[in-house]
Amino acid sequence: MRMHAIQLWSIIIKELRQALRDPRMRGQLLIMPIVQLLIFGYAADFTVDHVPTVIVDQDQSSVSRHHVQRLLADGTLDDAGTADEPTANEMIDDGRANAAVIIPPGFARDIDGGRTAMVQVVLDGSNPTRSGIVGGTVGRYFAMAGMELGNPMGGQAVGKKGSVSFQPRVLYNPQMKTQFYIVPGTAAMQLLMATAMLAAMGLAREKELGTLEQVLVSPIPTWVLMLGKTLPFVLIGMFNVLTSMAAGAWLFGVPLHGEPTFLLAATLAYLMSTLGAGLFISTMSNSQQQAFMGAFLFMMPAMLLSGNMTPLAAMPDWLRPFTYLNPLRYYIQVLRGSLLRGAGWAEMWPQFVALAGMGVIILWVSSMRFRKTLA
Amino acid sequence: MHAVVADGLVRRFGAVEALRGLSFSVDAGEIYGLVGPDGAGKTTAIRVLTGLVDPHGGTARILGQDPGAGGDVREQMGLMPQQYSLYGDLTIAENLTFFGDLFCIPKDVFMARRERLLDITRLARFTDRRADSLSGGMYKKLALACSLLHQPKVLMLDEPTNGVDPVSRRELWALLYEFIGDGMAILVSTPYMDEASRCHRVGLISQGRLVAEGAPRDLVRDFDHPVVEVEGGDRHAIEELLLTMPAIRGTHPVGTRLRLVIAPGELESVRAQLTPLGAVLNPAVPDFEDVFLARTGAVA
Repeated sequence: MRMHAIQLWSIIIKELRQALRDPRMRGQLLIMPIVQLLIFGYAADFTVDHVPTVIVDQDQSSVSRHHVQRLLADGTLDDAGTADEPTANEMIDDGRANAAVIIPPGFARDIDGGRTAMVQVVLDGSNPTRSGIVGGTVGRYFAMAGMELGNPMGGQAVGKKGSVSFQPRVLYNPQMKTQFYIVPGTAAMQLLMATAMLAAMGLAREKELGTLEQVLVSPIPTWVLMLGKTLPFVLIGMFNVLTSMAAGAWLFGVPLHGEPTFLLAATLAYLMSTLGAGLFISTMSNSQQQAFMGAFLFMMPAMLLSGNMTPLAAMPDWLRPFTYLNPLRYYIQVLRGSLLRGAGWAEMWPQFVALAGMGVIILWVSSMRFRKTLA
Repeated sequence: MHAVVADGLVRRFGAVEALRGLSFSVDAGEIYGLVGPDGAGKTTAIRVLTGLVDPHGGTARILGQDPGAGGDVREQMGLMPQQYSLYGDLTIAENLTFFGDLFCIPKDVFMARRERLLDITRLARFTDRRADSLSGGMYKKLALACSLLHQPKVLMLDEPTNGVDPVSRRELWALLYEFIGDGMAILVSTPYMDEASRCHRVGLISQGRLVAEGAPRDLVRDFDHPVVEVEGGDRHAIEELLLTMPAIRGTHPVGTRLRLVIAPGELESVRAQLTPLGAVLNPAVPDFEDVFLARTGAVA
């Protein structure tokens, strides 16, 4: 046992030396994850606010001005100026505005007279997410305004029939911040990329250069060698998870709920499966180039079928079973569930079992294949 | 008990038969040369004997044990592979430490051996240099040092002087002689005749089989093929004719002359065919290369 510990340690030290000696490699391993997080966190921001909106107030009454002010107050819509209707259409055409709110003449009169007042919203539909949210915002505002009119004193609407109040309450991410969603997904994805690629390339490199021969004729057992080749990347992966979470919390305010032991254990299980996949790819490859292509062939579908980019529920029926073989799928659930909702062992043990099971199996298969494929 | 035993080794790679029943043995205190042209199966033989590749037939034994089984026997053997097998991005010192740890050599023992190996390989001044910045000769000496750290009883070297200058080559061989004094068994593969003649015994290998075996001097002494050097005549026409003659077992140019190894008893018939082309056949003393050419069918 003591012997194996010495051998294991020598492999780990050697791997870390090789991985961290080259400044470029060091940067890629330790800095790139943060850079990626920043890019995804800031650039892939689907949070919709500050939509430039042009106001066409044809009523020009104090009532209409009052409603326009309140409509713009929450910051979802930005005042892009007031204009007449043809100018407003032009502004949408050339992109100066994404929406126009048109208040027709007689708006105030209709409200006073108890008639239904009309408001028109013109939307730039080229970005459906954005136009949907703008439409919803305007709709919600005037629905609320309508209820207030029914009962201007606040409180219960007495003597009014059929008025239903609709009050959405968003749990876990009340401001609907995209970063809360993006940061865990990105962290899980870049962990997959770094570890699977490193494991696949590391062993393929040794095969290509022939550096394994003198190691394999030494008394080191295969499992110690495999362990020694994976543990350094577990360390690096762990470091990356921690820095990603710290950066996510500090820059984007992503919460850190959840049980640390669960998160740690699930991350270890996830790393086992990604490193195992990398090692498996390396047993199928004779050169670094083959390993690189192999790793890509694994990572691209893994990312697409993870539920990070497209919801799992939106996938075709025949495709969905494949997502159950995808470690990334479970780990994204773990990160989101744990960080945002505070879920732990009780809620997410099935994900942990799936990750650990896949990790153990793929590592074992790779170990078995390893020696046979050397010849 | 022989230190190394290859008994009827067979190994295929797809449709290619790299070894077709190769048998030989190496004793302690002996340098055995596995000599053959490229593609004869030398590297495969060493890979099977070190347990890197499983044989499809026959048995390989190192000190009576199966080298593919792992464990104890690996502590007793060392390998210096043909290609660059050390870590180029690690320094000399780091490579030595790494291999020392793989064999779990105690610290004080390791330091003593390291000093001695660095001293005799004259690498002591370069311990901080990365392996990939070493010259071919220095690199091979480092590889040899790494394979000797655990003081193996059996050392196998696959074309150790490939790409090494003549001076470093002599040094490497001097090192090997030093170690057999301690009773080490050394198996070395080489395509070079001058190296083969430095071995105690050689096995000539051709197409995965042993075709001749013995001390280099004995092989030359017992060689029954006439050897001649051809002078004069139309060189081109002579070479064309030689290709059609089954009695010619090997040819290689020596300066302006052409050296021929002829099947036993065929000298006069060869002379009869070549004389009309204006060629003069002068008898020559056979050397090891002639033996090699005739036995392996290699073209020099």
